[in-house]
Parts: sequence; structure tokens; C-alpha cells
Amino acid sequence: MELLKCVNLSKQFGKKTVLNNVNLTIPRGKIIGLLGKNGTGKSTLIKLMNDLLTPTEGEVLINGQKVGVESKKVIAYLPERTYLDKSMTVDSVVKFFAKFYSDFDTEKAYKLLNDLDLDVNQKLTKMSKGMQEKVQLVLVMSRKAELYILDEPLGGVDPATRDYILDTILSNFADGASVIISTHLISDIERILDEVIFINKGEIVLTGATEELRGREGESIDEIFRRMFKC
Amino acid sequence: MLKHLLEYDFKSKFKVLIIFYALATFFALLTRIFFSFENSLVLYIIAQVCSGVTISMVFNILINNIMRMWARFRTNFYGDESYLTHTLPVSKTTHYLSKFICASVSFLVSFAFIGVALFVAYYSEENIQIIKSLILPLAQTYDSSIGGLIIVLLLILYLEFFNILQCGFTGIILGHRMQSGKVGFSVLYGFIVYSASQTAVLVAMFIVALFNNDAMNLFVTNEMVDIGILKFFIIFAIIIYTLISVVLCFINIKLFKKGVNVD
Repeated sequence: MELLKCVNLSKQFGKKTVLNNVNLTIPRGKIIGLLGKNGTGKSTLIKLMNDLLTPTEGEVLINGQKVGVESKKVIAYLPERTYLDKSMTVDSVVKFFAKFYSDFDTEKAYKLLNDLDLDVNQKLTKMSKGMQEKVQLVLVMSRKAELYILDEPLGGVDPATRDYILDTILSNFADGASVIISTHLISDIERILDEVIFINKGEIVLTGATEELRGREGESIDEIFRRMFKC
Repeated sequence: MLKHLLEYDFKSKFKVLIIFYALATFFALLTRIFFSFENSLVLYIIAQVCSGVTISMVFNILINNIMRMWARFRTNFYGDESYLTHTLPVSKTTHYLSKFICASVSFLVSFAFIGVALFVAYYSEENIQIIKSLILPLAQTYDSSIGGLIIVLLLILYLEFFNILQCGFTGIILGHRMQSGKVGFSVLYGFIVYSASQTAVLVAMFIVALFNNDAMNLFVTNEMVDIGILKFFIIFAIIIYTLISVVLCFINIKLFKKGVNVD
């Protein structure tokens, strides 16, 4: 059974259609790039997968079941914004995750925080936005989830840190799990992607394996993207 | 999971309320101490100031209780933190029940602390006699003991606060469902729901009165109605407020289960 399936998925905000009849299947054990320009529906699609939005039509199925408590047990989601209670310390946030997620590896979290020189006793409110985002990444990657959904994990981050984030993702996601990375910074993540999904104006315009696309088009994924979405 | 949610809700709620509890108790103590000095105008003025602060702390506890519950509800379910709340492996019902139980307990604790603060500040035989003389005629009218009447009135007050709180929750949910989270609309919807709930109480009382002429006198005349009817309506008010709270709880959970749309 496929890990995630979107069936005739549409989302409207008032009269504006943001996603239109999306049909999509996410297999197991792949790193998939959800690629598109800003405001093309990437985050809306991800929010629908995470129960943060309600579909206007269609449905999202995870392991064959509708989005709900069971799907949240197997999805580790990194939103593009800082979402933790800022009055908490890093340590209390780690304990919070350990209480709610049975697949959370506390030791791994502390190790990753230590590697990043993050003080576990520091309050989030005293941390910079970048540091908070690193804490969030650690929390997400410390889970042994079946599906990791990372929304713009490289947004607003310097190139050196981008490499570090990508390495952290690559070396920490659970065996057999899939990773969906939403971004418009394609050249930075192209090297790690198995498959890509191009989204434009709320519709899936291209899907495929990266190697196959490169061979067929004779271009890198970044070049294909630039050509397809040229303004 | 409810246990874990409650742990965090209680922590968030009481870490601020406890400051107001401490301040209320502190100023209540000062009030008592300064009122105990006689023949000093300065100390009497200080005692009056402390008394005023104690009373303002009491109101602060009540208002803060409700406002903080609404603010946390909005932040947790529709603000930045909603990205964590809605991705926790917890059902919408459990999320709502956590807020519901937290509110019930914090109201109870706050009522208790208010009672303690007022007792510390103002307890004296003289004051007890004044309160008794004020409440006794009412208690006699209702054929009740003073203690019994106070408990019933506190229970109605408690249920009324709870009703206001839940109407606010409904307003926030509807505001976000229909108007993309504009605060003004949440307040408006909350007010409409509260007005509707109060109208429902009146309509229910009127329906009962249709079958009882003595009860109808409450609506159509200024005459003193039968004491049995007044007692009946007090019990009726408690039942109907409890029912409204339960109904609002179900409505809110049902609205939640239809899904959210966070910004």
C-alpha cells in the first residue's frame, strides 16, 4: 500500500482555487522534492496532508486511512514557521515531544542539540529565529517516522547552514521512511532527491524520478524547473 | 494523552494566575493588618488602599481566568502554535476536553482563592453579622439557610462564567471558520452565541410557564410570585445552564471535528 495518496484533492479559499484536483501518490523509502514557485500551492498541499486545512473536495489518505490521529503518529512535520511555545526551554520541548510521540528518540535529540551547540536550558524566547528553526529540525528528525514532511527547511538560511540541514536530514531519517521536501531552492537539494513533483497554479504539472528526468531532458532538475516556470 | 495535555494547559494557566492569587492574598493580609490599627488616619487610608487593591485583584482573577483561556484557545488552535497542536496524535475531542476541564478546575480554584482572600481581608464577627442581615431576608424568602443560599448563588455564578467562556470558544471557532480568523468577528460571533444562549434560557422558562399559571405571573405581572415557583426556577436555571454548557461543548467539538483552516 502506498504511504500517502491524494485523491481528487482541491482547496478553495473563498472563490480562489489554490489546489485543483490533485492526484498524487507518495511511495515508501524515497526522498521527494515538492517544487514550485512561491504561492503555487506547495504549503497548502502540505497543510492538507497535516490536517491544518480541510479539503474543499477530495481526500488525503495515509496508509489507506484518512488524515487523523493515526496518520499523525507516523508523520513528522516541519512547518516553515516557528511554532513552539516560546516560554518553554529547549529541554522542556524535548520532553513534550517525548510524551506525545511514541517514536521520539530523546537521546538522539539531545545528541543533535549538542552537535549544534544549542543550550538545552535556554528558553526559546531568548533564541534567534534561526536557532529556533534548528531546534524544530532536531525535534522532527529525532522521530522514527514513516513520512517526514519538511516545508521550506532551507528558506532564509545561509548556504553553509543549508548543507548542514540537508546532511542532518539525510543522516537522520528512519530506514524505509519517505521525505517530502518543499522548496524553490532546487539547486541546493537536487543532489539528494529521488523523485520530484512540480506544482504550478495549484496543479501537478510534472512528476518523475530525478535520474529519469535528467536523462530524458538532458538537463538538471534546476534547469528543467527554470525552463518550465520561466516568467 | 488527555493527561499530558492537561499538564501543559494547567501549567500555562496557573503560572500567571498564581501571581494574582499571591497578590490577592498578600493585599488581603495587608488590609487586615492595617485595619487592625485604630486611631491612625494614615494607616486607615493605607488600609483602604489595600482593600481596593484586594478587590481589584479579585476581579483580576476572574477576568484573567476567562481572558487567558480565550487567548490560549486561539493561540493553540489558530495561531502559530496550532501547527504543533493539530499535528499531535491527539483527537480534536481530547484537545477540546483538555481546555474544558482546565477551565472548570481553574474556575473552582479561583473561586476558592477569592473566598480565602475575602475571608482574610474582611472576616470579623461584625462583618459576618452585616452579611447575615443582608442575606437573611432573601434566605427566609426562599425558605433556605444562609449557607445553602450562598452555595446555590455561587453555583449559578460558576455556571454563568462557564457559559460565557464556552460562548467565547464558539465565537473563536466560528470566527475562524467563516471570516479567516478576524478577531472582531470572533467577538461578534461570541456575543451572538451568548445572546442566543440567554434567550434559550428565557424561552425555556417561558415554555414551563405556559403550563403553570403561577409561573406565568413572573412574566406577566409585577406581583410577588409563589416562593415555590421561585425555588423551582432557581433549580431550573441550574439545570438549564448545565444543559447549555453540555450542548455548547458538543457543538464546539462537532465544529472542531469538521476540520480547521489555520493561516
